[in-house]
Amino acid sequence: MSALLESPFFGVTLTVIAYWAGVKIQRRTGLVICNYMLVAVALLVAVLLVFDIPYEAYYVGGSFINMFLGPATACMAVSIYAKLELLKKNWLPVLAGCTAGVLTSMGSILLMCRLFGLDAAMTASLLPKSVTTPIATAISQDHGGMVAITVAAVMVTGILGNLAAPFLIRLFRIRDPLAVGLGIGACSHAVGTAKAMEIGETEGAMSGLAIGLCGIITTVCALGMGGLL
Amino acid sequence: MKILLQIGVVFGVYWVSQCIEAVLPFPFPASVISLMVLLVLLIAGVVKVDHVREKSDFLLGNLGFFFVPVSVGIINYAGIIWENAAAFLTICVVSTVLTYGATAGAVRLTRRLLEKRGGGAS
Repeated sequence: MSALLESPFFGVTLTVIAYWAGVKIQRRTGLVICNYMLVAVALLVAVLLVFDIPYEAYYVGGSFINMFLGPATACMAVSIYAKLELLKKNWLPVLAGCTAGVLTSMGSILLMCRLFGLDAAMTASLLPKSVTTPIATAISQDHGGMVAITVAAVMVTGILGNLAAPFLIRLFRIRDPLAVGLGIGACSHAVGTAKAMEIGETEGAMSGLAIGLCGIITTVCALGMGGLL
Repeated sequence: MKILLQIGVVFGVYWVSQCIEAVLPFPFPASVISLMVLLVLLIAGVVKVDHVREKSDFLLGNLGFFFVPVSVGIINYAGIIWENAAAFLTICVVSTVLTYGATAGAVRLTRRLLEKRGGGAS
């Protein structure tokens, strides 16, 4: 039986079913908190626990799916390229905004990790949590973090940003669509971008642009911060 | 055949990026290198969007799916997160608010400065 569970087809099939269920449940309920990824992960965790299947057996198939994360990050170039005109026209505010966002995100996380007395591995796991998952996990791994914790923090942050976006816009009293879009993208990557698209076309485009740019800037900043962990 | 070629282009770019990652003297993830390599190739016109469109739509449209297996790994870390739940949530909430404010504020400031300079020149 365990040989069959360790077949890669088991993990891949199980993941497809859980993901499909997650997408269905989110559509049915329409709630951000029923995020399809959260639902899919919760279902899989439940199945593994109930049937006492080791994560390692599931991950034999899972690793095949995981292999696509890197190439998927490469494809973000296509979405940046599609907004190249918008970027060229506003390159200075866009770069200034993304850089300020990344520095604030990483700086505040580093400071709070120190305040809470978290160890180096936990700090490295949380440090890149404002950027998109494939980039955040790669940075976390490179600097000795725990990838699963990074993914959890990235998801919580994304959902927070999505829910809080209208409140944040009022709190900081900034109406400029360019600033709002970049702000949402910088603090809550793709999950926030979904909300930015609802708010407006420019907001959505800017938020999408911030995902890739903040990812690159965070990677560069992580090089410098590696020594602080 | 079209899709197969697109897979070839995207995977090829990624493999080249892995080679670059291997020779770099500092830790820089291949995924971010591949993003920059593909962007440069698109801007230079070496790769056209049509060469990667369907493959990229497939990967980006189902991005969440590809994270699922690694996220399930949380099963092995539940204890650590539970122990640090308060810190974990505080850090997520505070940094999200600050990051939004800093980004939006910096964009507004930069645009105002540009407008002032533009206004002064004309």
